[in-house]
Amino acid sequence: MNARERSLSRSEEAIIRHHMEALMAREQEISGVLVSTIDGFRVAACLTGTLSAEKLSAMASSLLAINEAVCQESSVGECRDLVIEASQGRILLMDIPHPAQKLILTVLCRAKVTMGQVLWAARGCRESLGKMFVAS
Amino acid sequence: MSEREYKLIFTGSMGAGKTTAIAAVSEIAPVRTEVRNTDLAGHAKATTTTGLDYGEVTLPSGQVLRLFGTPGQTRFQFMWDILGRGALGVVVLVDNSRPDPLADLRDYVQAFSGVIGGSRAVVGVGRCDTHPWPTLDDYDGALRDIGINVPVISTDVREREQVITLLDILFYQIEAAGDVAGQALHGVSSP
Repeated sequence: MNARERSLSRSEEAIIRHHMEALMAREQEISGVLVSTIDGFRVAACLTGTLSAEKLSAMASSLLAINEAVCQESSVGECRDLVIEASQGRILLMDIPHPAQKLILTVLCRAKVTMGQVLWAARGCRESLGKMFVAS
Repeated sequence: MSEREYKLIFTGSMGAGKTTAIAAVSEIAPVRTEVRNTDLAGHAKATTTTGLDYGEVTLPSGQVLRLFGTPGQTRFQFMWDILGRGALGVVVLVDNSRPDPLADLRDYVQAFSGVIGGSRAVVGVGRCDTHPWPTLDDYDGALRDIGINVPVISTDVREREQVITLLDILFYQIEAAGDVAGQALHGVSSP
């Protein structure tokens, strides 16, 4: 990972970080946000405790890739969001459009979250980032 | 999984040919989970598998082989553990043009040691024509050093027959390990 060349510019990473912080500030029930490359490398992370951004980035990549394959196999159209319901929280994954390379947005939520609200906020974040990347 | 289905794993470093090998023999459109590769310093390939590959081969006797390919990079090791569950044997693909292919071999054999159990594997070494070293004897020696006794052959996984040969050898290994499934699986190369 350390030897890997930076795939996004510093200004792009700063934009991403700003959006992640805004998302967390907007929704109190979001406990963590991660942005990673489509092939599983961390770009930016706001995570608590001992969570590994590196490991979660790789897992997010696998999950979205398998999600895409399942959507294709089932002929249900293009894959959008992936929501994981767990006993103590929910995890939301979606891709972020980028002219050179798609990114992945992972949002970790506490159990009492109102999912529609987080989905709305995360999609807004995704859309805003996508527009910024196109403009930059 | 029914009694007439058998799960086999294709593993190895990024670019060793796991996706290609499964596509070469699968009778169904293989499931692929390739995405754009952003680590061009690590490998020049345009895409990389981050989930799994999946394909199927039906034997003349009716048994179905379910072929699962793993992602190559160690950051996806959690997928190796998931995919390895319930597998009968492993095809380890090694790219001889990599900086240290013997280290690659050791890494993947050790990662799947629970499935391999000492002998339920076959090693296919690719790009031997352009990169003749290390030799197949070097691979044999490296495996002996870690207590593994499995065949090592040169292969080109773009060729269906060569992948079938790998599977055939793997069945001998499974059979020799005393698994009843080995007997049922033997004979995959017969049309």
